[in-house]
Amino acid sequence: MAGFVLRRMLLVLPSLFGLLVVTFLLIRTIPADPAVALAGDNATPAQIAAIRESYGLDQPLPVQFLRYLRGVARLDFGESQYSGRPVALDIAQRLPATLELTFAALVIAIGLGIPLGVVAAMHHNRWPDFLLRIGSVAGIAVAAFWLAIMLQMLFAMKLGWLPLRGQLSAGLTPPAGPTGFLLTDCLLAGRFDLFLDAARHLVLPAVTLSLGGLATITRFTRAGVLDTLQKDFVTYERAVGFPRGRLIWVYVLRNSVVATVTQIGLLFGGLMAGAVVVESIYDWPGIGSYTVQAILTADSKVMLAVTLLIGLIYAAVNILTDVVHALIDPRLRESR
Amino acid sequence: MRITRRDTAALAFAALMAGPMRGHAATPGLMVRSDGQPQSLDPHQVFDVPMMGYSLNAYDGLYRYQDNPAVLRPWLAESHTASADGLDWEFKLRAGVKFHDGTALTADDVVYSFRRVLALGKAPASAFLPILKPDSITAPDAQTVRFKLERAYGPFLAAIPIVAIVNAKLVQANVKDGDHGAAWLSSNEAGSGAYAFVAGSLTPAERLDLQRFAGHFMGWADNPSPVERVAMRTARETSTGVLGLMNGSIDWTDSYLPTDQVEQIQSSRAARVEKHSSLRTFIIRMNNARAPFNNANYRRAMAHAFNYDGFITEILKGYADRNTGPMPNPLWGAPKDAAGYSYDLDKARAFVKAAQAEGVNTRQPIRIHIQSQLEQTNQAAQLFQSDLQSIGINLRIVADTWANIVTATAKPETSPDMWIHWVSTYFVDPENWVGQMYDSRFHGTWKASSFYKNPEVDALLGRARDLVRQEERAPLYEQATRKIMEDCADIWVYNTVELRGVSNRLSNYRFCPAGGGAELRWLQLKG
Repeated sequence: MAGFVLRRMLLVLPSLFGLLVVTFLLIRTIPADPAVALAGDNATPAQIAAIRESYGLDQPLPVQFLRYLRGVARLDFGESQYSGRPVALDIAQRLPATLELTFAALVIAIGLGIPLGVVAAMHHNRWPDFLLRIGSVAGIAVAAFWLAIMLQMLFAMKLGWLPLRGQLSAGLTPPAGPTGFLLTDCLLAGRFDLFLDAARHLVLPAVTLSLGGLATITRFTRAGVLDTLQKDFVTYERAVGFPRGRLIWVYVLRNSVVATVTQIGLLFGGLMAGAVVVESIYDWPGIGSYTVQAILTADSKVMLAVTLLIGLIYAAVNILTDVVHALIDPRLRESR
Repeated sequence: MRITRRDTAALAFAALMAGPMRGHAATPGLMVRSDGQPQSLDPHQVFDVPMMGYSLNAYDGLYRYQDNPAVLRPWLAESHTASADGLDWEFKLRAGVKFHDGTALTADDVVYSFRRVLALGKAPASAFLPILKPDSITAPDAQTVRFKLERAYGPFLAAIPIVAIVNAKLVQANVKDGDHGAAWLSSNEAGSGAYAFVAGSLTPAERLDLQRFAGHFMGWADNPSPVERVAMRTARETSTGVLGLMNGSIDWTDSYLPTDQVEQIQSSRAARVEKHSSLRTFIIRMNNARAPFNNANYRRAMAHAFNYDGFITEILKGYADRNTGPMPNPLWGAPKDAAGYSYDLDKARAFVKAAQAEGVNTRQPIRIHIQSQLEQTNQAAQLFQSDLQSIGINLRIVADTWANIVTATAKPETSPDMWIHWVSTYFVDPENWVGQMYDSRFHGTWKASSFYKNPEVDALLGRARDLVRQEERAPLYEQATRKIMEDCADIWVYNTVELRGVSNRLSNYRFCPAGGGAELRWLQLKG
């Protein structure tokens, strides 16, 4: 298993390098001049030219790329043209918020999607199945920004149950570290009041983000369970009177979720992309809103670093998915 | 008693929902702003509207604009004198001013601040680089600062409030690799303003806290219930900011509210809309250096084809003042007798014919670039497109970003045919509008992106710039403006009425066009 994981990790390196090259070249095709953004409003052409020179933006592209690569090798992604701060610092401050939101959405999607898929399969072509199929189509089709506004209107404005926006109430001060994950840090600091406030702020963004994934997982689980239910071993176990609940929720489910696990791996990337919209609507201080800002201000260093980071996370999740596959299905482990 | 997993889940759900059932409980003394924050906290690297919303509170300048119409008042300086030729300026500082760390503010800090602005060479330096050398800023004693200009510059005093005075010792202690403390000051503060930055509260573009500075030189005797703490939180979607205002979790929105949101807030009992005429003009630029816009009759046809009243009345619901020229109507130097262009499609057709007679191909499609995240630019372009179609002009709308457009405006060949933007108040002087927009020496900056060139206008604006007295400068600006309007360099649409959603917890709102009313020390807070 260790050899398998190592091989997969080594294969990721050329993919990431390719990603970096393509992103670097694509960003350079955007007409916006980073020196203009750096100089700010009212800057004269002479000021802009001086800034272009001082940041090395007047150098040939290969020189700029090599310089950037040297920085990346030292985990130095340069300075944000927008904030003037090191990009690595900005990302380190924001990534935990996005990961917290994405994990929460994933937990909701898996925690509800798998049981709902099983229920739909067990009631194949009866009303619970129809209802869940209609619900899952709607879940995939509905636009995140529309759903977010509807949830805000209902739960924050009409019922007043949950906060409208942000990660923490404005009057509260988040604990300083150590992990950067707000919920974890609140618990480590013993601040249960802050933990509760942060958890309440997480509910609406996480539910909004999870809906598409929830629908996908429900549909894949349903299809997998329906397929497994036709297998001989299920007929045999039923015939010998094996307890139905245990048969379905342990043996049938275990044999049905390989495709679902693959989907979960792919979904993670989708959720990170979806976070861009959700973070903007809920003012969630993650890398999604940071990326939007970077695109609008042509902040190339941030765009490069975020793309590389998401590529890295996506690759890691896919390796993890393969490992989980191998754990679920020993045949896969042996074939590798 | 045995607690089951179901009980635990029910308890957790109840705890999550155990917030206030209706609305949002305001924290005493705390005000929550949702109008964003500057891209960097260094007031010498950035100078724009969000920066003014921060620096007017965290920093002080020698002079400060206040009220509406804007009046320039002594602030850190008690007074100033200028030589008759406008080359020598002397400012006397107040005694007893302290920075937030308790250090006394002296003339050395003022000298350091101006020199730092020049050395960094970023946006706030634009007004000073052509007229000031670092060595010509001196401090003969702790309370006096002298400036010796390279040449007379009429807007010098008007531009003085741009420069925030920083704590020289504190910034110098944080210089790294000769960066003038730029990296450090991007995330920290070294000011003396009425509010101090709360260390560790910054997530760039997301959150930032300010705390009232009890030791501010103005004192607080005139404000019995000031805001104690300010939480600056960015609401990216206007609708989220407005909903927050209505449920009490936000006390202050940005001042660019869409009109449909204005009506929504006005129907609320928790908040109101502060409406104030500003100095912020809405302009449709035309690239005068390129065909077909290099023909004055074609430009006049365009100016007569825009439905000004329809746009202001129907789309903006009347929350704007028609502004027929390049300068905001209330500003000195704007000719009060210049009628400008009206919406008249017959006149537009006549000018199209005149342009055709002069050899202009009026059939060629033209493009207008809009700022895609600013819906109003799209609305204006769509309205324009439909009217231009009726006079046989094919207008295509191109969605774009500010960064892309500003880069393109560096050269006439790359600059769009047309684009739409506002000109805000960076300093209250005609130089901020006609001076920087239509003097050909500024070609290559976004403000001068119509690439208008008229030697007579250049001479008038140059002379106005070299004079110091407003009475002498005003007629020159009026004359230049009349010529620019006659040549129809651009399409001037309206002067902004700034619309800001404000919680009813807040009173004593004082609006000034410079900074858009973002100076918080006057505000009084209930609860």
